[in-house]
Amino acid sequence: MIRRGLSYGMLSTRRRASTLLLPMLTTATGAFLVVQVFSLTGSVKVQASAFGNKDQFFRATLLIAVVVLLVGVVEVAVCTTRTINQRTREIGVLGATGVSRSPVVAALMVEPIVAAFGGAVCGSILAIVVDGVLSATGGSSAEPELGPTAVGVTLAVLISIASAAVTSIVPSWHAASRPPIRSLSHGG
Amino acid sequence: MTVLQTRPTLTPEVAAETSAHEPTPELAASAVGNGGRLLRFALANLTRRPERFVLSTLGIALAIMAVVVVRTLSIGFAGSSSASLSEVLHGAPLWVTPGQGISYNAQLSAMLPDGPAPQLTVPPGWTALHTVAGAWNSSAGELAIYGNARIADGTVILSRSTANKLSVSDGGPLKVGTTDLTVSVTGNSPIVMVPEQVATAVVGSKSWWTVMPPAALNGRLDLGKLLSAATGLPTSTDPANKPSGAGLIYDTAGGGGSVTFQQRFTALYAGKVTGSMLGMVSNVGLILGFIIAVTSFLASVQERRREFGIMASIGLADEVLYFFLVESAVVFVLAYLGGALLAGVAVLTLVPGVASVSAWAQAAGMAAAYLPAMAIVGALVPVHRLLQQRPVSLLADAT
Repeated sequence: MIRRGLSYGMLSTRRRASTLLLPMLTTATGAFLVVQVFSLTGSVKVQASAFGNKDQFFRATLLIAVVVLLVGVVEVAVCTTRTINQRTREIGVLGATGVSRSPVVAALMVEPIVAAFGGAVCGSILAIVVDGVLSATGGSSAEPELGPTAVGVTLAVLISIASAAVTSIVPSWHAASRPPIRSLSHGG
Repeated sequence: MTVLQTRPTLTPEVAAETSAHEPTPELAASAVGNGGRLLRFALANLTRRPERFVLSTLGIALAIMAVVVVRTLSIGFAGSSSASLSEVLHGAPLWVTPGQGISYNAQLSAMLPDGPAPQLTVPPGWTALHTVAGAWNSSAGELAIYGNARIADGTVILSRSTANKLSVSDGGPLKVGTTDLTVSVTGNSPIVMVPEQVATAVVGSKSWWTVMPPAALNGRLDLGKLLSAATGLPTSTDPANKPSGAGLIYDTAGGGGSVTFQQRFTALYAGKVTGSMLGMVSNVGLILGFIIAVTSFLASVQERRREFGIMASIGLADEVLYFFLVESAVVFVLAYLGGALLAGVAVLTLVPGVASVSAWAQAAGMAAAYLPAMAIVGALVPVHRLLQQRPVSLLADAT
């Protein structure tokens, strides 16, 4: 049943693709910054050393980049609450026709996960492309480093997906747990 | 309280209930004047969608946290550079720097010259103190060392923490370079103070002058110009001006205006942090936080079109703006409190060497300056779209 829920979620995500653009953009912005901080570790550390405590300032830069990524992902969750509200009646119909809670939650979780994953991947790719172009054209003196870039991309994608799942599961669970009659009568 | 006065027979509960269901111009005026009722109304609306309320508050709190962290680091860095300037000047209003410039070494928490000080002959009555400065490779690692004629021969002045680092005590011996000196533990400066010839033997000729005017000229704001006329060196009251050529006289007392040299100097170094990648990333975070606020309120507006259609149809169009302003204020104030607290925990655990509680408090105060504008614009953007529409279309579109 959960697989069917996921398929249903994919269908509705495709139908509502345009509403995912803003959360994807905010997530991409956060992912871009995280990958940039990792790929330019050397130059960020040089900049940090000018402020005295190199390691502490680098740690602070990393913390801020991850926090900004989380801010971007929160937009995904805010979008999920809006989506759930718009689909209350649909959720009520699913409940009334006997669909259990798990597939409904799975269907609702597809949209935030896709938005977070898509945003993180787009942001990471953009960061790599920008680094490559700047490095090739001499637009930046900092040389991007492959190892830290890979760590940055992995972290950006994992943090995005995990935080989107954590922040979206509660509204999705509540919506799927509501009695169908309430969803059908209050649904928008 | 206008409602209760005009309808004395109603109980407070009934009056409150009535005011929520029968809005009239008088009630509207009372609602606007009654902050408590507006606040209750705002909280009731926000908690209708608790998940969105929590999420948007969390998003804005994280954005504010990013800004407060960066500002705390900036203030901490500027504070230590400002303290190092006081170490250099020791009350002297004029600072004659080498043409190669001076720089703040944050690792050593000290200003250091990048070249030898220019030749200087001061007019009669003026006093000039030549200070040699640089980094000394001590047994406890690199330390900043200043040498000038103010330090008695055979003496080295250290703070308690530096003495502990070097494992020496007050009155004990310490070898600086090839010279044996007697330790005097005093003050809390991170800089090792020695006689000039000892510092020259250790760090070379990199130096500056600090100049005191005669007592008769104390308090004048053109001391830099006077010394410049006497020595031929250029002068500036702006720390952003870099020395070049033979050197530069910084006039730390002159220039007039409401901003002192020390304040400009502090701002210069604070700007280095906020202008770094760290500052750029936090500003992006703040923009994303604002986007979350606007989209959250837009969603709220969309869901409450029927409610606003009813309000607008009975003449309460403008009051909708007040409702949203209060909701926005509640969200932003809670987010600010959460963000500032998170930032305090983050800086004091992750970067204790740079941040202090007072720097965090100042940074939190500065971040509060963003709040009114963000809260007002965050509420105005969605409501403006709503007020553009006629009540009938709000009621017709609502589902």
